[in-house]
Amino acid sequence: MFFEALLVALWAMLCGIDKYDIALNIHRPLITGPVIGLILGDLNTGLIAGATMELAWLGLVPNAGAQPPDVTIGAIAGTAFAIKLGISPDASLGMAIPFAMAMQALIIFLFTSFSPLMQKCDNYAADCNTKGIDNMLYLGLGLRSLLYGVVGFSVVYFGTAGADFIVRYLPENVIDGMAIAGRMMPAVGFAMLLRTMFNVKLLPYFFLGFLLTTYMQLPIMAVAIAFLCIAILDYYHQESKGNDASNSSNLDTINDEL
Amino acid sequence: MMNSNTADGVLDAPAAPYSADTEMDNSGYRDTATAKVITKRDLWHIGFRGLLMEGNFNYERMQAGGFCYSIIPALKKIHKDPLDLAKALKNNLNFYNAHPKLFTFPLGLCIAMEENKEHPSTISSVKAATMGPTGGIGDAIDHMTMMPLTLGIGAAISLQGSIAGPFVFFVLYQLYHFFTYFWLLFFGYNSGVAALAQLSEQAEKLGRSANILGLGVLGAMTASFVRISTPLVITAGEAQVSLQTDMLDKIMPNLLPLGFVGIMFYLVQKGKSPSALIFSTLAIGICGRLTGIL
Repeated sequence: MFFEALLVALWAMLCGIDKYDIALNIHRPLITGPVIGLILGDLNTGLIAGATMELAWLGLVPNAGAQPPDVTIGAIAGTAFAIKLGISPDASLGMAIPFAMAMQALIIFLFTSFSPLMQKCDNYAADCNTKGIDNMLYLGLGLRSLLYGVVGFSVVYFGTAGADFIVRYLPENVIDGMAIAGRMMPAVGFAMLLRTMFNVKLLPYFFLGFLLTTYMQLPIMAVAIAFLCIAILDYYHQESKGNDASNSSNLDTINDEL
Repeated sequence: MMNSNTADGVLDAPAAPYSADTEMDNSGYRDTATAKVITKRDLWHIGFRGLLMEGNFNYERMQAGGFCYSIIPALKKIHKDPLDLAKALKNNLNFYNAHPKLFTFPLGLCIAMEENKEHPSTISSVKAATMGPTGGIGDAIDHMTMMPLTLGIGAAISLQGSIAGPFVFFVLYQLYHFFTYFWLLFFGYNSGVAALAQLSEQAEKLGRSANILGLGVLGAMTASFVRISTPLVITAGEAQVSLQTDMLDKIMPNLLPLGFVGIMFYLVQKGKSPSALIFSTLAIGICGRLTGIL
């Protein structure tokens, strides 16, 4: 158990760097889920749990300043609970949420406490000490990574015991309800994405994608390629028409495509 | 049309807080002789450093430390006069906040301007001016299109029990990410200021196309990944009508998921926080199960 938690901590440290820098995106639940599964000895559950949480938290991307609940710690907790307690990935998603929220608060605290580093940097700049400025960055990076490692370790080492207690004394209906909520959860992420893309004129494209999958059961990949074509057509259509392409011209594009 | 979270706060943000406590010095660089000293190798070096640009992200100046960290090799090569170097370093420690995956365009631009010994305040203005657009385009292309797209494709494969899912996501996303990231750095450096006008002209069209792609895929994902159904059965005399299969599905399959996404969208528009919505969904799921509606 201790050794497993240590491996999880190591992975969490890598994720802590990756979350904001480098962007290999290994910190996303889709990848972190199966890795935690591998460490805890159940790759398959980790895979499904990771994908389930990924869909629920798709819209939770840190836009500078506004920190969303932390998907990495959430994914570690959710996967660990699904494996250790033998509950469904949908239900473990519900139990992982408080952990994701707590990490969000810790990160906000961390980013606030880094502010004094900037005064240090100013002093180094005046002395032309570029090494100093470099080191301030490595310091921030190291502390952030360490925070993820410590939290990741604690979640697996201590968290599972507490969660076990909850599962034992929680009525089955409530756990089932959590699973139902887990299956509804992607709607929140999608809604957040929608808000940033919202444009009444473009909304038919959303419904078109919805219909293609609802009635024709097209896989996501097929829909993505179809819409890539539409997007490219639309781009060149606008180019030839100038910047104020009207709504009707877009509908023409759809009709052409279909 | 692009409602960027990254960009909004930036434009209204007060100018660098530090400028108050340093000597107000509006002069340009002492040594204004220009020479072409930046090589392709330097740009690659800077690009790799830029991957760590949020290393000491903080709420005082956000990515200032990271931007300065990234550009340091260029500044050291360009400014031989120590006073100029100090001035350039300070200038690049101003408040900065752009999209970390696309900030290489302004970074390249700044390197070109530093090399040309432009006035520090000009460089500052250009940096400030590019924060908003790169934030907006970055959100539209990266957060709203490429991330959900590649993650959605990977998750769909994973849910079928195939370990290929995470790898498909990784490869697809990195193909786009590293190519764009480094291409923008070279593009920014090579095209200098002239490119700026061109890019913001294209930005709107590009953002619109990205939105079309994102919206279509989001529609498809709503249909495949949000799963809500009701076990309610209406008993009318001896006839038993299942609300889900006999009524809702007859109108349109996936009606409940679509409706729920619609409600969530309305609430997000109203300014409800994601955390509140996540907890509400949890409560709805549990209450729905207890009352037998869901």
